[in-house]
Amino acid sequence: MVISKKISESMKSSSWIRAMFDEGEKLKKQYGMEHVFDFTLGNPITEPPEELKKELIKIVSSEMKGMHRYMSNSGYEEVREEIAQYHSGKTGIPFTKDHIIMTVGSAGGINVVLKSLLDPGDEVIVPCPYFVEFRFYIENHGGVMRLVDTKEDFQLDVDKIKRAINKNTKVIIINSPHNPTGVIYKRDDLEELAAVLLERKKKGQRIFVISDEAYRKIIYDGIEFPGMFQIYEDTVTITSHSKDLALPGERIGYIAISPLIKNAKNLINATIFSNRILGFINAPAIMQRLVAGFQKNSVDILDYQKKRDAIYDILVDAGYEVIKPGGAFYIFPKSPVRDDIKFVRKLQGHHILAVPGIGFGKQGYFRLAYCVEMDSIERSRPYFKEALNI
Amino acid sequence: MIVSHKIRKQMEDTGWIRRMFEEGINMKKLYGEENIYDFSLGNPDVEPPEQLKQSLIDTLTHPTAGMHRYMQNSGYEDVRGEIADYLKDYYGLPFTSQHVYMTAGCAGGLNILLKSMLNKEDEVIIPKPYFMEFKYYVESHGGVIKLVDTKEDFQLDIEAIEKAITPKTRAILINSPNNPTGVIYGEKTLRELADLLYAHRRDGKKIYVISDDAYKKLFYENLQPPNIFSIYDLVISVTSHSKDLALPGERIGYIAVSPEVKDVDMLISALMFSSRALGFVNATALFQRVVGKFQKNSVDIMEYQEKRDILYNALVDAGFQCTKPMGAFYIFPKSPIDNELEFVKLLQEKERILVVPGRGFGKEGYFRIAYCVPVKKIIGALDGFRRIGKEFIKKE
Repeated sequence: MVISKKISESMKSSSWIRAMFDEGEKLKKQYGMEHVFDFTLGNPITEPPEELKKELIKIVSSEMKGMHRYMSNSGYEEVREEIAQYHSGKTGIPFTKDHIIMTVGSAGGINVVLKSLLDPGDEVIVPCPYFVEFRFYIENHGGVMRLVDTKEDFQLDVDKIKRAINKNTKVIIINSPHNPTGVIYKRDDLEELAAVLLERKKKGQRIFVISDEAYRKIIYDGIEFPGMFQIYEDTVTITSHSKDLALPGERIGYIAISPLIKNAKNLINATIFSNRILGFINAPAIMQRLVAGFQKNSVDILDYQKKRDAIYDILVDAGYEVIKPGGAFYIFPKSPVRDDIKFVRKLQGHHILAVPGIGFGKQGYFRLAYCVEMDSIERSRPYFKEALNI
Repeated sequence: MIVSHKIRKQMEDTGWIRRMFEEGINMKKLYGEENIYDFSLGNPDVEPPEQLKQSLIDTLTHPTAGMHRYMQNSGYEDVRGEIADYLKDYYGLPFTSQHVYMTAGCAGGLNILLKSMLNKEDEVIIPKPYFMEFKYYVESHGGVIKLVDTKEDFQLDIEAIEKAITPKTRAILINSPNNPTGVIYGEKTLRELADLLYAHRRDGKKIYVISDDAYKKLFYENLQPPNIFSIYDLVISVTSHSKDLALPGERIGYIAVSPEVKDVDMLISALMFSSRALGFVNATALFQRVVGKFQKNSVDIMEYQEKRDILYNALVDAGFQCTKPMGAFYIFPKSPIDNELEFVKLLQEKERILVVPGRGFGKEGYFRIAYCVPVKKIIGALDGFRRIGKEFIKKE
């Protein structure tokens, strides 16, 4: 066999995703795109902000020499400087360009940090439900994933996390605003989590928080996002511009390492090294230059909020049990039957495409990604209702 | 300790190129950029072709909806089709878009390929001297490297390769034109290699050839690299547009799987999985769109050839023992004193010339000069090479 056994196993275990995808494609062919409501993909239809598009043209039209050449593996100094200033301003913590490493999106950034931190057998705690790719990121680098259930409302269950920590625990990955639930973790819980980790630290065990903040700017109702840097010292955040600037295909993001980490320099050097040897080398040059000036910008959040309101209303109105998302563009309703795959099939029968909760480690739920046209959301209303008539 | 043991260990025994690079920055600050002759980095000072720059502008001034969104992990279908057409012409084999996978450069391509192919402790044979990052790429995915010496002229030593093959051998990773030697592997030797691998096939052992073709278009005179796809069947080529289109910072390249590989669909699915799992997800969208049309382009090879000739002739005159590069932009002379590290330091201190010691490529007693620098820098350094040659090279 041309491929490795491990990859073959991993691929088999996710083959049902492909099967569902294929069924969805069949439906679209059969009934036409506009008669199928595809809520499966976190690939927003949103375009990048106009000013950003203009800036990109300006950059590529400039006569600057060497703009497509290699630069330092961590990225352009002036770009990192600008991002560092943005972080210092926001957190009051003295970030410098050294604390920022430009990466190939969030996925690239998390891999780089995990490779830098993990020894074989080290454990990584991940609250569940979770973005399943985390498992692969962890296993790539010899780590072991420990899933810990969240509460009924998908908020962190700090007691359970505390019980899951053992001497091998090295990292906890949190993702807020959260995929697939849209939940934003509460400050109180994060502070409680920090207290638990500090207790361990006093005993000589350092546990790092990797905070995946890919959806950080997509927050509704004026909720204030509790920044992890101010809550816990040993924090590394991962930012992507896939969602806030709508550039997922361009693969651009960055790692920010807290200046409060003791001997942060070691971790910084290791991430730069890992960025190189994993084959990223550096984040795409043009995109680095582009995003530097757009740290405070984002796509139209109100537009997402309207969509959130619409889909939430449709679901509640139809009688689904669902937590109202505070951010991101996902919603994670409870499946009316325990077997979520069965229910997702039923939804397909009503032309609605969703992802079963089991795809996020949580049976009995399903995920809808509502980063689609508003019209499509509104037209789906009767179908959600019909699907509930059992 | 924060950092993983493995990474710490790897970081300790690496970084010669980087170290020289840092040293260079310090020296440039100290003596002024114009007084330093930095031959340590393969970062060419050339610009992408004018038409490519224009195409980039055109792509952005005529935007299409969704042009910055995710696409299939393997890349845009039409771009892969364009590349397949080019490959079909170039290699004379029936490549289609299904044999092409867009990657974040060569380094990205090799990583997702190795992750897709290697079982734990599978061995990858690598002729040395070699580009040291290969070691990390292989080790990152649970593999083990088996280094095999090349001959005096840096050509493949088939007997040595034969001895290195074990039941765990999964692939042989070659890089021609070669970094750091500039050598192109000859057709006859590659045929011998193929014969050897076919012989193992008869014993039920499939060994793949992974060909790092990053410098494929950078060859001199009529020394075009032999068509590896026609010589052997289980070939996977990994390439990049860092050198031929001068886009190293943008990270764009592709994997081409031989149409003779039977399980190509399975391999492509595995590559998709690996590129997601490793965090690449897809090659950067904007540059995928641009490079499809420029498959036949290359940078001006005559310019490199001129540089090679000036440098090679001067080194030989000065008494250095070196193999004439056939491609790429590296030359790998023998160090006049056994400990090349000492010699590299002398070059640096006496002549302000920066090169990389051979141990940075697994080969002590040699040093690498990357001559992808302005020609006046090369000319400026010649006296330095002559002086140090006179001092250290014993005339027979």
